[in-house]
Amino acid sequence: MNDNNHFFSRETWTALGFLLPLAGFVVIFILVPVLGTLTDSFFLDVTYRPRRYLGADNFIWLASDPEFGRALRFTLLFVLVSVPLEVILGLIIALVLNERLPLRGLIRAAVLVPWAIPAVVSGRIFELIYNYSYGAANYLLTTLHLTPEPVNWLGSEIGAFLALVAADSWKTTPFAAIILLAGLSAIPDDLYRQAKVDRADFIQRFFKITLPLLKPVLIVVLLFRTIEALRVFDLIFVLTGGGPGGATTSVSLFGYSYFSAGDFGYGSAASVILFIMAFGLSLGLIKLGRVEQGLMP
Amino acid sequence: MNEDAVKRPIILAAAAVTILFCLAPFGYMVLTGFSRYPDFFSPDTPWIVTLSNYRTVMASESLHFTAFLRNSIIISAASAVISVFFASLAAYAITRLSLPGKLFFMFLILSLSMFPPVSLVGYLFKLMTALGWINTYPALILPYVAWTLPLSLWILVSYFSQIPRDLDRAGLVDGCSRMQILIKIIFPLAAPGIFATLLLAFIFAFNEFLFALLLTTDHAARTIPVGIALFEGLHGQIPWGEIMAAATLATMPVVVLALIFQRRIIQGLTRGAVKE
Amino acid sequence: MSHFQVVSYLVSESKKWVLSLMPAFIWLLCACGSANREAVVFAVGGAPAEVAFWEELLGDFERQSGIRVEVLRQPADTDQRRQGLVIALNARKPEPDVFLMDIAWIGLFVASGWLEPLEGKMDAAPFFQRVIKMADRHQGQLMALPVYVDGGILYYRRDLLERFRLPGPPATWDELLSQALTVQKAMRETNPRFYGFVWQGAQYEGLVCNFMEFGGSKGGFSRQEDGLRLDTAANRTALAFMRDLIWRHRVSPPSTYTEMKEEEVRLYFQAGNALFERNWPYAWSLHQNPASKVKNRIGMAPLPSSPGSKPVSTLGGWHIGVSRFSEHKHQALDLIRFITSYDTQKKIMLRMGWNPGREDLYDDPDVLSRAPHYRALKDVFQNAQPRPLLPYYTQISAIVQRYINSVLAGRESAENALNSAQHGIDALQQRYEPK
Repeated sequence: MNDNNHFFSRETWTALGFLLPLAGFVVIFILVPVLGTLTDSFFLDVTYRPRRYLGADNFIWLASDPEFGRALRFTLLFVLVSVPLEVILGLIIALVLNERLPLRGLIRAAVLVPWAIPAVVSGRIFELIYNYSYGAANYLLTTLHLTPEPVNWLGSEIGAFLALVAADSWKTTPFAAIILLAGLSAIPDDLYRQAKVDRADFIQRFFKITLPLLKPVLIVVLLFRTIEALRVFDLIFVLTGGGPGGATTSVSLFGYSYFSAGDFGYGSAASVILFIMAFGLSLGLIKLGRVEQGLMP
Repeated sequence: MNEDAVKRPIILAAAAVTILFCLAPFGYMVLTGFSRYPDFFSPDTPWIVTLSNYRTVMASESLHFTAFLRNSIIISAASAVISVFFASLAAYAITRLSLPGKLFFMFLILSLSMFPPVSLVGYLFKLMTALGWINTYPALILPYVAWTLPLSLWILVSYFSQIPRDLDRAGLVDGCSRMQILIKIIFPLAAPGIFATLLLAFIFAFNEFLFALLLTTDHAARTIPVGIALFEGLHGQIPWGEIMAAATLATMPVVVLALIFQRRIIQGLTRGAVKE
Repeated sequence: MSHFQVVSYLVSESKKWVLSLMPAFIWLLCACGSANREAVVFAVGGAPAEVAFWEELLGDFERQSGIRVEVLRQPADTDQRRQGLVIALNARKPEPDVFLMDIAWIGLFVASGWLEPLEGKMDAAPFFQRVIKMADRHQGQLMALPVYVDGGILYYRRDLLERFRLPGPPATWDELLSQALTVQKAMRETNPRFYGFVWQGAQYEGLVCNFMEFGGSKGGFSRQEDGLRLDTAANRTALAFMRDLIWRHRVSPPSTYTEMKEEEVRLYFQAGNALFERNWPYAWSLHQNPASKVKNRIGMAPLPSSPGSKPVSTLGGWHIGVSRFSEHKHQALDLIRFITSYDTQKKIMLRMGWNPGREDLYDDPDVLSRAPHYRALKDVFQNAQPRPLLPYYTQISAIVQRYINSVLAGRESAENALNSAQHGIDALQQRYEPK
C-alpha cells in the first residue's frame, strides 16, 4: 500500500530493512575484500619490508614471470579439457537418469556422493589411487597388461594433469548431471511421442528436440562449471601440490603460495587477474541469462 | 518397438556403470580405512580387516581429529542458519515488496558469488588479523555466511515466489507486521525450501577449504577439510589406512545428509539453476 | 479453508519453535575459538614416526621440568610446514611458542620480525660456530639455534676404486670425471645401467645445493656491493661441467635432470649402479642396511673442488626459534635449552640418526662408535656454506632452479641461463630492497 505522503513508502523502508543484512554481509565480506585485494596489488606488501606504492609494477612483473604464464596456461588448459568432459559425461548420466529405471533413488543417491564430499577428500582418495606403489590405477594397468611398467602418475607433468582431470571430473560431473536432468525433465513428453509417430529415431530426436530445448540449461552449466574450474585450488593442493616442479600450479595456487610466503602484493596481483577472468565470464552469464529471461514468456 | 528392445539393455548397462563410476572411489576409501595394508587388492598382500585405523584417528589426542569435526559442524551449522535467515528476509522483500531494480540486485548478488576465493582471502586474512579473530569461529562463520548468501537467496526466491500473496494480505489485515508474516506464515509454508537451503548452505560451508586454510592455525578453529588435507597419520611414513579412515569419518556428516535428503537437495540445486 | 483460518493456525503453531531457537543461536555465536592455553606449543612436522619421536622427547621434558608442552603436528612437506608457521606468525598469534625452521627460512622469519632474540639467554658456544655465524646470528643478535645440520657429501664405492687401482676419493672434479669414466667403461660390460656419478639435478631446491657444490668456493652466490651475483666465470664453468656430465661424458644418467632427487639418487647408488653419489649424510645408515647391495663397500668424503678453490658443502638442517608473540617465553627458553642440551642432542643422534648441531657431540665415544664417519662429518659441517639468507630466497631459488635445469636439459647454454637468472635476481632485488 503506497502512502503518498512520504518520500519512500513504508513498504519500501521495510524492503530496504529486509535487504540490508544480506547486502551488508555481502558488501563487507565479499565486495570489500575484493576491492582491498585490488588495492593491495598496487603495493609492495611483504612481511619483511615496509609497504610501498608500486604503481602497476606487480602486474608488469607478473607479465614477465614465466611461472605465472605457466600457471595461466595450465589453468586454461585444465578448463578447456575438464569442463567439456564433465558436461558430456553429465549429459550422459542425465539421459540415463531420465529414463524409467528400477532403483532410481539409489542411482540418484550414488550420483550425489561425489558431489557431497569435500574436494580435499576426493583429492586424497585419488592421491592413493594414483600412488606409484600402492595405487589401484597402477595395479589395474599392470594386471591388465595395458602398460609394461607402473606409471609415475604424479611425478610426470602429463600424468599429473590427467590425474587432476580425472579426479575433478569424478567430483563435479554429478552437479552437471543433476542440473541437466532437471532440464531434461522439463521437456514435455508429447514432443517425443509426436516425433516417434513421425518415425524419428533416437539420434534425430536427440539432436532435433533434446539439444535445442536443453540449450539454456547447457549454457548455464557450462558457464557455472567454467567459472568453478578457473578457480580450482582444493584438489590441486592435495593431489599434486602444484605438480612436479610447478607443472600443475593453477593461478589460485600461485596466488596462495605467495600469500603463504608473506608476499601479499604479488599474490593479490595474480588473484586480480583471475578475478577479472572469472568476473568477465560471469558478466557473460548474466547477459545470457537476461537474454534467456527475455525469450522466456 | 525394436528401438526400445535395443535401448533398454544399454540404459541398464549405463546405469550400472554410472553407479560404479560414482561409488568406486568412495568405496575404495572406505575399504582402505578398514584395511591393514593399502594395497589390499594386490595378490601379494593379505587383506586384513582392522579397526585400528579408526581407533587411532578417533582416540589419539595429538591428531585432534574430533576437534576438527566439532569445529566443522558448529561453524557450518551456524553459517547455514544465519545465511538462510538473512537470505529469507531478502527473498521476502524481493518476492513481495515493491522496490526498483530487484532483478538487477539479484544478478548483482549472483555475480558476487563468482569471485574466486583467492581474490578475497588476502584481505580477509588482514582483516581478521586486525580484529584478532584469526583461528576463532567468527573468522570462518562470517565469510561463510557471505559466501552462501547468494545461493541461498536464489533458491529461496524461487520457493517464496510460489507462495500466494493473498496469505500476506490476510496477515496484514490481521494486523501483523511484515516480519511476523515472514516468520509465522511464510516460514512454515516454505519449510521444505528453507530446509533444502539450510542443507545446501551447510554442505558448502562444510566443504570449504581455502578460507579455512589461511584463517585458522590449529585445532582451536580448524575445520575438517584442512585437517584431512594436512593429515599425516600416526605411524610409519605414510599410513594410508589411517588417512582413509580419517577421510571416511570426515565425509560422514555430509554424505549422510546428502543420502537422507537427496530429494530436497536436488530440488534446491535445480531451483537455483533452472528457471521453471 | 479461508485465508484467515490458515493464517491463524500457522501463527499459533510457529510461535513455539522460533522462540526456542533463539538461545541456541546466541550460544553458537559465542562459541569462539582459541582460549589462552597453559602449555607451551611446539610446532614440528615430518613423517609420523618422526613426530612421534618428538612427542616422546617432550614427554621427558614435561616430567623433568613440570612444564606442559603441546605438540602442534605439521605435515611432512617442508613447504606446508613453512606455510603453517607464516600464517600463524603473520597473524601475530601466540601459538606456536616454539618451532623448527628449515635453515632456508631463517632469513624470512628474522626480517619479518617473528623471532624472539636469544642473545644473552642461550649459550651458543657448543655449536658449530660457522653455522651460528652464518645462519643464526643477525645483526649481532642470536635468533635461533641449530638442532640438526646437514651438508652435501660424496659417497664412493671403495671396492670399485680398489679394484681398478684408483687412488682414494677424488679431490678435484676433473679427477672425479676421469675415475668415473674409467670405472663406468669397465662396469658397463656386465652392467648396462651403471653410471659413474649420480647427483640431484631435478628442478627443485636440491638442484641449487648441488650447483653451489659444483661451483666451489669461487662459485655459487657471491655477494657484491650491487647485490647477489650469479653470472661469474666459475659458475659458467661449473654449469657447463654439470651439463657435460650428462650429455658429453655420459657419466650421469639423463634422468638426472628430470627425476633425480635425494631418494632416487640414493636408491640408484644403493642398488650398486653407481661409483659416486652426491647426497646428504642421512643416506649413510641406509646404505649400511643389511639388505643394501653396497653395505660395507662404501666410503664418505668431502666433495671435490676445482683447482684454486676450496670444496663447498651446502649447509642444510633445521633450527629452533621462539615466537616473538609467545606468551610463555620463559618456558619456551627452557624447552630450547632442553632440546639443545648435550644429552638430548645425543639422544636425537642415536635414535633418529640426525646430525646434531652441537659440535661437542662429535667427539663423544658413544656417538663415534655408532657412527665412525662422524669424524669426517665434523669437518664437513665446520666448513659448510649456507644458501643466501635473504627473506625472498625461495623466489631466487625458483628462478635459479629453472634456468640451471634447462641447461641440464640441453635447452640453453650455460652463459645465457646464468645471464637470465641474474636478470631475474636483479629484478627481485630491485623489488624487495627499499630504494
